[in-house]
This record gives sequence, structure tokens and C-alpha cells, in this order.
Amino acid sequence: MHDMAAEITELLAIHQGLNTHEEPNSEIVISGNLAFEAVPEDLPRIADTFEIEVRVPTAYSAILPEIRETGGKIHSEYEHVFPNGTLCLGVPIELRRIFSRQPSLLGFMNGLVIPYFYGYCYWNEHGEHPFGEQKHGGEGIIEYYTNRLNLREEVQAVAFICFLYEYGYRGHHNCPCGSGQRVRHCHGPILLDLHKHHTPHTLTHDLSCALDHLFEKFKDNELSLPDPLLKQIGRIAKGKNRRRARRRRF
Amino acid sequence: MTIDKRRYSKLLAKVAEDLDIPPSKYRDAVERYQAVGRWLEAGEYPCAGTPDIYPQGSFRLGTVVRPIRHGVESDYDIDLVCQLPIPRHLTDAGSVKLMVGQRINEHDVYRQMRDKEGKRCWTLQYAEKDGIGFHLDILPAVPKKQSLSATAISITNKDGNTYRWSTSDPKGYAYWFDQKNRRAFDQVQWEQKQLIQSRAAGVYASVEDVPDQLVRTPLQRTIQIFKRHRDSKFNGSQRTKHAPISIIITTLTAQLYSGELDVFSALSAIVSKLHAFASLVDSDFVHGTSQTSNLISRTPDGKWYIGNPVNPEENFADRWHEDNHARARSFFWWVASVKKDLVDIVGSGSADMARSQLIATLGASVVANHIGLIVPAPATPSQPPRVTISRPARPWGPNARHGG
Ligand SMILES: [Zn+2]
Repeated sequence: MHDMAAEITELLAIHQGLNTHEEPNSEIVISGNLAFEAVPEDLPRIADTFEIEVRVPTAYSAILPEIRETGGKIHSEYEHVFPNGTLCLGVPIELRRIFSRQPSLLGFMNGLVIPYFYGYCYWNEHGEHPFGEQKHGGEGIIEYYTNRLNLREEVQAVAFICFLYEYGYRGHHNCPCGSGQRVRHCHGPILLDLHKHHTPHTLTHDLSCALDHLFEKFKDNELSLPDPLLKQIGRIAKGKNRRRARRRRF
Repeated sequence: MTIDKRRYSKLLAKVAEDLDIPPSKYRDAVERYQAVGRWLEAGEYPCAGTPDIYPQGSFRLGTVVRPIRHGVESDYDIDLVCQLPIPRHLTDAGSVKLMVGQRINEHDVYRQMRDKEGKRCWTLQYAEKDGIGFHLDILPAVPKKQSLSATAISITNKDGNTYRWSTSDPKGYAYWFDQKNRRAFDQVQWEQKQLIQSRAAGVYASVEDVPDQLVRTPLQRTIQIFKRHRDSKFNGSQRTKHAPISIIITTLTAQLYSGELDVFSALSAIVSKLHAFASLVDSDFVHGTSQTSNLISRTPDGKWYIGNPVNPEENFADRWHEDNHARARSFFWWVASVKKDLVDIVGSGSADMARSQLIATLGASVVANHIGLIVPAPATPSQPPRVTISRPARPWGPNARHGG
């Protein structure tokens, strides 16, 4: 549980240019000027102000807030914005990991929003992303798992996502990377960390993104899938053995 | 002109921070007590295994307040348990106390630093170069078997020339306190560790290196403010010997804390809940109705009960009925004073009045540094908050099918 009033008080005490109101649907909206002086490790400090609107969903903090930049400061050619105008802060599972360091509205602002704006300012000045950028869509999701788990192939990343979806964490199962070792002696620690930070929402999201991307390639014969994985995907698609998600997505 | 709650809360947090042990001093203290711990561990005792040495009390709980002795700011107190792995039935309280004393005497330097024998502990006095020293109280103990709690210990009590056992459970109490503090800790730790790291980059290379023990929640800050207010209210007065003891303040505050994320909200909510118990003084026996009403209670014989949360048999208020309930009356007088001195000034008084009241109750030196927070200053464009970026997310994007 979280104490919304306390979180808002804490946020407004630090970011004094922001205000808050409640919508009729009891969604909370925080808007105004977000001024900051951001100091990353080994990079120049940047001070700037962005006009923002943050919508805190009623299901917060199971679902993280959405944020828009409302001052027209972000160039239309900047790619990390969704078509509906919300900012693409990062892949969902990474956002949850970072949010968990300081799980409050202030933590959301300081840990996710301000680094995003820093990245934008830096890109605007130097034409490159200071912390790197994720590929878009399902490809980016798969890239995230591939890097995080240090994998060689996209198919392995999909196997991990399916494993998380179907079992969560199981130390005694064979590791989805295909090494033949038990999970706990192989990719166990990272898998456990992913499992800890996933919500049903983020996991369903990642699975659907990754499979969409995979089937594109599969259809074009760019990719072949090992039998067990195909079977597992079939199982998941039929909704058998599902531990978490209720809604059918395929 | 009323006082802004947000700024006042910040002032209280800053004052508590000044009363607290600063990070560099904390590190010195840990080094000092670890050195003593290694010395005690290496001693010869009539038992197998090595002693278990660990901090207890406010130093362990993160509620340290620099004490006032005879009206002046004084040295920090650090309490250390030295638990020998000897079954209680194979020894006696006097032997345990003297074994530890003997080991301290074997060290040329510690022998010089040692105070005369205390009721329960041996005290080492550290005079430090910067003038802010430590009193290290070493509490000899053995495990207490056949007890509800696995962490309970037997400690020694000197009365004249005889030694008796008594029971304590500092580890159990600390775990209990950590539970009460946990949720707020999770919320504030990242923010605070970043700040501590950025101020002391020479001491801590990264945010992860900052120890949990340096993070303070509004619960801990509130306890520090309460203790300081008590110290200055009772210092040198007739009432000194009836002043509320720290363990009672700490226990009740932790029980009544409900996760407020700023110091003023926490402090004012707790004070008003404590205030509600005051009617107990004038009634002999009151039936509890609310959830928290049994925190302070009267027994049918008119005595008082505030239980140790990890050992209900221990009554922290066992002396409250003495001298016509002097300690109970002192306690509620103190609660009323906190309300008047620290809560009611918001919204009623002027900033000048608040200033003199805060100086009188929390001390001139700590209040003066931060009074600017509530005394109106000419409006200046405020500095934007400074945010440290550490291992951020990479921006992602929508599924654009424009082929790279
Ligand atoms: Zn593996």
C-alpha cells in the first residue's frame, strides 16, 4: 500500500513548480514546471525546466504514471515519444526496477523522468544519447532481455520471457538459455531479479510484444524455432498452465 | 503571518540531522567499537566459541541525539553488548561482569580510558581531536535460554557488592523497531543515500556504498526531536529524575507511527495520539476501546503498564505509580509541552515567537542554523533541486515500422 497524500506532499516539497488536481475519474494529475539540475556520473551537469503533465492511474503503483511534455520543447523528430504524446521512458520491466529503488512519485520523477529529460537535452546538444537508447517496439524488448541476460540469440530471449510467463521463477528447472544446467546454477540470479520486478501487466506486455516481433520474422522464414519452444508458445496461446494473466492476448 | 508547514517540517528534519551523529563521526564510532570488539573477542574465557559483540540502543536504532549534560552539549553515548557464549547455569553475574572488565584491563590503552565500574556496564571514554567524544558502554551478557525469544540475554546488575541477573533483548527489540520503520525506510532510502553520497563522495564511492544505518525516516527524526525536547525541558529542573526514559519515548512513538513521510505530520499525529492517553492520570482504571489504547494502561491495582513489545513481561512503566504517579504526571506534562512548543506554533504564532520558542526548547545552536526556513525572507527564485543520475533507463519507443 502507498499513501498518496504523503507522496504528493513529498513530491511538491521538492519540485515546487508542480501542482496537483484530481480528475472526476479519480485519476490524479500533476502538472506544471519541472525544474532540475541533473548530475550524472562522468557527464556534464545540465539544468533545465520542462512543462509536464503526469497522470497517476487509479491502479498506481501497480501501474506507473504516464507523462507528457506540454511546453512543446521536445522536437518532433525525437523518437522516444509514443503516438499519443506520452514519453517513452524505457522498457516497462526496467522502469519497474528503477522505480523500486524509491517507490514513490518523487522517485518516479527523480529516477525516471529527470534522467529522460537529461538524455533529451544532451541529445539536443550533442546529437547522441548519453546513456544509450533501446531499439523500438518488440525488438527493443528482446534486445533488453538479450543484453541483460547476456544471450546470443533472439530466440533465447523469447524463451526466457515465456519461462517467466509460464512459471515465474523455478530454480530446479532447466535454464531457458539451453545450457542444460539448472536455472539456479545458470541464469538464476538475473531471472529471479526480473521475476521480482515484473507485474502481470508488464509480463503480458513483454510477451505479446516479443511474440508479435518474432512471428513477423517467422512468417518471412528468417527464423526457425526449436520444437519445445514452439510447444510452449502453443500452450501459452491456448491459455493452459497460465499462472498469471487472465486476458487472452492471442 | 502563519508558519508554512512544509518549511517547518524541513526545519525539524534539519534540526534532528544536526543532533544526530554525522556520517564521518559515525564511521569513527564504528571503527572504535569494532576495535574494542576484536579485543574482547580475542580474550581467553572459560568457554568454547567467541563472544558476540553488537551495538544496541539508540546507536543501533538510528535515534542518537547528542546529549546535554549540565546544560552543555556533550559526548555521544554508544552501547555495546558483549555476549559471552557461556550457559547461564555454569556461571554467575559477578563472574561475567568481571571477566569482561579483566579483558579490558589487559589492554594498556583501554585500561587508561576505563571509568569506574558502572551498575551494568564498563565505560570507555574517548576524547576525540575535534572535541566531540564518545562514551562507549560495554554491557557484559550471556544468552538467556528457555526464553520466548531466541535473542534474549541475561545481563548483570551491580547493587552494592552483589551482582544479580536481569533480562534484556536488545536484538529482538531492534528487529521489532526495524519492522515499524521498514516501509518508510524503503521510500526514503534512495533519496537520502544519494544526498549523503554527494556530500561525502570521498567517504562513499557510490550510492550503494552508503550504509543503511545512515538513512533516517520521519519516525527516527521524530524520536530524535522528542528526546531533545525532553532533555532540554527536564535538564536541571526538579523533575529531572522523573523525565520520560528514552525506551518509553521510542516504543510509543514507533507504535503510533503510521507511515507519514514528513517529520511534522508524523510528530503532530503522534503527539495528539499520546495526548489522548492523558485522562488515564485522573482515572484509576480505564477500559481500552481503540486499537492502540492498550499501549499505556492502568492495572486494577492502580499501577501503570507499558509493555516491552518483544517481552510483554517487562513493564517499562513499572515505577510510574511511585511518588503519587510522579513519572506518569511528568510524562503527560511533557506530551502537553511538546504539543504547545512544537505543534501549536504552526498556524497560531508569528515567526518571531516561533523562533524564540524553538530556541528555548530545542537549543539555540541547532535552531539558529535553520531558522531561515520559517522566518520570512525576501522572495528569491529558488534553486532547482539537484538530482543525481545513476544507472538510468534507456529511452525506448513505439513500434515504428519505417524500416530503420
Ligand atoms: Zn542459462
